[in-house]
Amino acid sequence: MDKENTIRMQNNPFKAKGIIVITTAMLTFITFWKAAAVVLCDFGSSAFYAGGIAMRAFGPAFPWYILAVMLFSGLLLMMYIEACSLFTRGGIFPVVNAGLGENAAKAATAAILFDFVLTGPISSITAGQYLVGLINSTLEIFKIHFTLAPNGFSMVFALAVTLYFWYQNIKGIEDSSEKSEKIIRFSIVICVVLFVWAIITILQRGTLTLPPFRPQLNKESIGWAVNMPFLEKIGCIGVLMALGHSVLALSGLETLAQVYREIEYPKIKNLKKAAWIVFIFAFVFTGGLTFIAAIIIPPDLIASRYSDNLLSGLAMQLWGPNVLKLIMQAAVVIAGVVMLSGAVNTSIIGANGIMNRVAEDGILTDWFRKIHKTHGTTYNIINMICLLQIAVIILSRGDTYLIGEAYAFGVLWSFVLEMSSIVILRFKNREQKREFMMPFNIKFDHYYIPIGGILITLAVIALALINLITKKTATIAGISFAVFIFLLFHISEKLNAKKANVIFEEGHREKLNKTEVNNLDKAIEGLEGSKRLVVAVKDPDNLYHLEHILQGIGSDDTDVIVLYAKPIDNWSVGKTTGSKKTDENELFTNIILIAEKYGHPVLPLIINSNEPSYALTQVAQAAKAQEIIMGVSGTYGANDQLERLVMAWGALNQGKENKSSITARILWEGREVSYKF
Amino acid sequence: MATQNNSIPVILNKKRTFIIKEKISKQDLVEKLVNAICDDLPEIDRNDVLAAVLKREQGISTTLDTGLSIPHARIEDLNAFEAAVAVLPNGISDEYGLKIKVMFLFLSPTGQNYFSQHLKLLASLAEKFKASFITELASCADEEEVLGKISF
Repeated sequence: MDKENTIRMQNNPFKAKGIIVITTAMLTFITFWKAAAVVLCDFGSSAFYAGGIAMRAFGPAFPWYILAVMLFSGLLLMMYIEACSLFTRGGIFPVVNAGLGENAAKAATAAILFDFVLTGPISSITAGQYLVGLINSTLEIFKIHFTLAPNGFSMVFALAVTLYFWYQNIKGIEDSSEKSEKIIRFSIVICVVLFVWAIITILQRGTLTLPPFRPQLNKESIGWAVNMPFLEKIGCIGVLMALGHSVLALSGLETLAQVYREIEYPKIKNLKKAAWIVFIFAFVFTGGLTFIAAIIIPPDLIASRYSDNLLSGLAMQLWGPNVLKLIMQAAVVIAGVVMLSGAVNTSIIGANGIMNRVAEDGILTDWFRKIHKTHGTTYNIINMICLLQIAVIILSRGDTYLIGEAYAFGVLWSFVLEMSSIVILRFKNREQKREFMMPFNIKFDHYYIPIGGILITLAVIALALINLITKKTATIAGISFAVFIFLLFHISEKLNAKKANVIFEEGHREKLNKTEVNNLDKAIEGLEGSKRLVVAVKDPDNLYHLEHILQGIGSDDTDVIVLYAKPIDNWSVGKTTGSKKTDENELFTNIILIAEKYGHPVLPLIINSNEPSYALTQVAQAAKAQEIIMGVSGTYGANDQLERLVMAWGALNQGKENKSSITARILWEGREVSYKF
Repeated sequence: MATQNNSIPVILNKKRTFIIKEKISKQDLVEKLVNAICDDLPEIDRNDVLAAVLKREQGISTTLDTGLSIPHARIEDLNAFEAAVAVLPNGISDEYGLKIKVMFLFLSPTGQNYFSQHLKLLASLAEKFKASFITELASCADEEEVLGKISF
């Protein structure tokens, strides 16, 4: 640009004044592999404790039941995919809300929160148990006659881990999927080594004894059923009870629904791939390693020494020199500590996500959604979750089994409500498009009767009911917690009634974090794609063009800048008298929802400008964009819009040596006007 | 005379070129330029043309920050781009308070093929009429000099 035009632009009444980047919304998307890793850091981590807890509940038959539960997880994952195909912002609340109504949704949320509140402590305490197991093994091998108290050490360790992740979540973790991916890669290596070494050990021993199938339930593990002798007459009741004690291995599946909104385009296709990875990994890692451990480690040794760190026990019982076994145990402990710590983090993120989703519906007061001034996180929710987790850690005094006993209530009852809702929605929302349906359906009239879905729902109902009787701690703690959370929601909703009505009328509004930058180069510096599109937005109800563009983007190599030119002093060139004032929050909320729906990231910008075409051109030229996309103006029509845009383009090209060219497209339902200039 | 504007032939001549120093409203100026064009085109109804240009002026603004205003309309029965220009050394204000120092009014033929040329002409005019060029035009002694500078 020559000197004259530089001066002109500095004093230009149309010049963009104040460039704001919307940073609140999570508008970057992750691959199916990373999504699977995030889920596995929670779901897969149960491999480190589920077997040991099940062993204490019903004896050496546990690996069969853990394996069965892992197989069952495949069916549940399919149900989750169907739920996600209905709601981009999956999670339990919208699904149950649509299927069974608001009260059931609140109850389901309370149940899943109970699960998250226990996942953190059970994971961090188990991590402590593995660590202390390694320290004590090392001391023993080096003949140092000193042992650390496992439960005391685990409790302190768990508190430290929880506080660490509390702080990280308050600060706001930018993208933990990278770390999750590394953890899972490392865990796969450990898993393969353990498997190969275990096979060598079995070959060396020359004998292979499979665990018994019949569970040995004791008075403690049948709970109140001790007073219900009639239950004995039901043939498979023991199997159901054992499965009920193994169901804690399913904790973490909800993370799949939580992470769905972050998955990149094509979302359902990628979700299916992620679900396959989750299933195979969980079946092999949790089911397979638990099974191998039960074959290699004598049952009495598991009960006496390795129930809290089963996979360490597997490492230490392999064939070979002690030093190598100790190294293997160390590797298992590293994998366990990082994976279980990852689960602590996921539990905080998951609970925070669910509470935020509930708050979006106006059920929680603004106190819960207060955003941290520096970090932009919902710190009150994070504080509450972490305080509850710390209380559980202290109450358990580092005993994994105690938390394990309380566990599974949340998982199962959330499954019951969510699976029932998915089935009901087949009838209630018959017309709603589903990119995936749980298999085994019978088509009748206009309905797809979900036989597969109904059977799965019945199975989880059976397990939930049996656990209600057998797992006393879970029932008492779970119901108490659920009632507490339900009441909290209820009271909070009443206090928030006025606001909730507004939310109901206006629809949900995203809380936006806005960062002002000095110049356009700064605003777009994070863009890396070779193709760039600038999409002009103004009317929250006229975003067809954005949706059309995002739907059609097939590669990761395209950056989409979404620009709202905000009129200065409420006037702008081209604005008619009486034009509807744009509700910025509504506009960007809708943009975020569309971006999430198609799994394509966007860079949302607000530029204060009296001239939208100038602002659009300035951004397009700064970003070296290939296309400008606009929706049609209801007042002026596409031709006038194009005319103004080319004038702005020409005016801003003045004095430039390297003149860029661009295609302008104006889109509306079924039509398009475009021009390359 | 036909002037080439970025390879688009635009008919502009001395009779359609003005330097206006006295006060004039935007609408009167538009009318003056429309009349100047229509004087050469008896087959075109000047009232229809004026109505079309004024209707377009009610749409998105055609004035740029440089001081250039480009009223225009697409007119049936035309088979070339017809233009008239007025230089306003004292400037007049448009409806947004922007100062118009040069008004370049043009009419273009209808038809999809002409629309891309119509857009190209708008872009090239916006690019050509830099602030310094407009100042230069304002200091021209007569219409011939203005025309000489515009005809490139």
